[in-house]
Amino acid sequence: MNIAYPSPEFDEAVAAICRGAVPDEQARALNVVLRSNAAARDEYILRVEIHSRLASEPELFAGAELDATQSRHVRSGKVPPQVALALSGPRRIREHRRWRAVALAACFALVAGGWWALHLWNTGEKAGTTSHAVAMLNRVVDVEWMPGTKAPRLGAPLEPGSLRLKAGLAQVVFYSGARVAIQGPAELELISQSEASCRHGKLTAEVPPQARGFRVGTPQLSVRDLGTSFGLDVANRRTELHVFKGTVEMQPAMGGARQELREGSGAVMEGAKPAQFIAAGPAAFASLFDLQAKSLAAEARRYDQWRAATERLNDDPSLLVHLDFETGAASDWRLRNLGHRSGSVLDATIVGCQSINGRWPEKRALEFQNVSDRVRLSVPREFESLTLAAWVRVQGLDRKINSLFMSDGFLPGTIHWLIRNDGVLGLTVIGTDPRDHQIVVSPPVLTLDQFGLWLHLAVVLDGDAKRVTHYVNGLPVSERELSIDPPFRIGAAELGNWNAKGFPGNDPFLIRNFSGAMDEFLLFGRALSGDEIGDLYADGKPQSEPLIRTDRRP
Amino acid sequence: MSADSTGRSDDSNAAQQRFLSLFLRSEREIFRYVAALVPNLADADDIVQQTALALWEKFDAYNPAQPFTPWACRFALNKTRQWIERRQRWQALLENGLAEELEQRREELLPELETRLKHLEGCLGKLPEEQRSLVEGYYFRRDGIEGLAANSGRTIAATYKMLQRIRQALQVCIRNATNPEGATP
Repeated sequence: MNIAYPSPEFDEAVAAICRGAVPDEQARALNVVLRSNAAARDEYILRVEIHSRLASEPELFAGAELDATQSRHVRSGKVPPQVALALSGPRRIREHRRWRAVALAACFALVAGGWWALHLWNTGEKAGTTSHAVAMLNRVVDVEWMPGTKAPRLGAPLEPGSLRLKAGLAQVVFYSGARVAIQGPAELELISQSEASCRHGKLTAEVPPQARGFRVGTPQLSVRDLGTSFGLDVANRRTELHVFKGTVEMQPAMGGARQELREGSGAVMEGAKPAQFIAAGPAAFASLFDLQAKSLAAEARRYDQWRAATERLNDDPSLLVHLDFETGAASDWRLRNLGHRSGSVLDATIVGCQSINGRWPEKRALEFQNVSDRVRLSVPREFESLTLAAWVRVQGLDRKINSLFMSDGFLPGTIHWLIRNDGVLGLTVIGTDPRDHQIVVSPPVLTLDQFGLWLHLAVVLDGDAKRVTHYVNGLPVSERELSIDPPFRIGAAELGNWNAKGFPGNDPFLIRNFSGAMDEFLLFGRALSGDEIGDLYADGKPQSEPLIRTDRRP
Repeated sequence: MSADSTGRSDDSNAAQQRFLSLFLRSEREIFRYVAALVPNLADADDIVQQTALALWEKFDAYNPAQPFTPWACRFALNKTRQWIERRQRWQALLENGLAEELEQRREELLPELETRLKHLEGCLGKLPEEQRSLVEGYYFRRDGIEGLAANSGRTIAATYKMLQRIRQALQVCIRNATNPEGATP
């Protein structure tokens, strides 16, 4: 087989290469013409390059989509850039390449023994699929997971599978309502909303009336709960069952009759021997009963650590705004700006909103729920770079564009920080001419299973390095080149909402109220480094997180 | 949490931060570098992922004074070679030094390619709606060819042919845009 250049055969062979389906003979013929003909070689390189650019530059399509659907409005300047963005969604984006970056981020975190990107990893895998979760990890104290196993994130949904605890205490709430606390070393297998099994370790289960029938199996027996609390101690071919409250039904694994055990009684099953009946001994389960108290103490420690870190932070002269939502009574409409060194930014004003519990029971947060809920503030001056960071709990992404922090209107040099309803984080940077703007978006990182969790979000607008980086929980999730030149401004702005300033308020695309809670907001007049963002997250994360240990001590 | 584990995770967190920041910035270039030799998208994706893991493993050895992308591309080239060695048809395409020639020539052409491909976005915008949505489905959403074919009522072969024609149209458009007076190169 010979391939001439130029020829339809050449075109066909290049196309076959691009789709990865070229027969050996055709590949060999292409090899010959490419080696012998320099013009063919250059043509081949150009064609492959077009193909690989199309596959690697998602912005090509964001622009095309805006043009195609919105060209009239955008070109006439009648529709502001973010409306165009909103109209372009919701797209069921499966931006594989971007996703891959996120998935990789998580993958590296795993390699390094870190836990923190795990949820991103999970999100990546679960994007667009329904959750099969049967329970949630509710509390942990000094917990250490077995090396090489999944370390679930606190508050995260748990799908069927094993939880392998090396040390410490963990409480799992099944969706049926049953609560199981385990003490490491232990292995708990989640089977369904109302069933688990324990191969070894110590556990207590509390089963409210609605979860009646909850089952726990061990190698020696299975327990069906009839609305009670009970404990199991499983080790070496031996299971101890202790009934603390109510009644359980016990069935030996080796067969034999079911038996009901009442409050205060217990049983030991060992090997093939028949059950031995004992009195229930709650003392052996004391630390599990203590879990809730201990967990609260751990949270209080975290709160104190965050407070201390905050004091240091407030001395940073580049800190323009720091709102912790702690000051003032619920009826107070003023929020004190703790970034006092900057001096130029006044206190913020609360409009609507509810004061609720924040990351810790002692901590206050502000809930945004109604269309009118917002916090207004004003930041004078111009900046080369800016960093925004916030602890938020997303309740839902009700609007096409959900405001985290937005300058009023579309004024030159201002910014809009937002979450799109497809879970994409965005920073819109408006140029000298409002039509000249850049919408810098992340992959869709906020998926359903992240709702209801406290998340640390940050974005760095670096005017010197010409770069915008979005962060979730201290790790970068996207980094893009910035095409708008500094200086940047904030001016009059709002948290959790947007003042369209002159654009018709009844246009649904212009309603951008955030649905969720915020319990800290920081604005810096400089670009923070990735390490600094990581520290903000580490100092403020709600719980000291479970660790995957990289060392494998016996 | 013991003190030593805290220290270790802080260190590795900082290293990850640096690595991810560098990698995210270079990822597209690495992908295109790989795709120049292995243009099939799924295969190029796999090679880039393997490259990323290799880079992370060797990240201790990276000298921050050196630019990251060329350092990363050396790994990408190794991973690509290993990948090609195990596949006969790609060997057939790239044998007798063609891989090296393509790699070198692409590097020479890069400034020229950058200039020309600046027009890609504008040219995509000029495509008829049906063609643009096919390109978007294939390259951006990465919908499978079967689904795209079914949606358009074409056969898979006809859909591939359509994609080939669209790329040709884009190439013509880019050429015209690069030479606005209509002079052919």
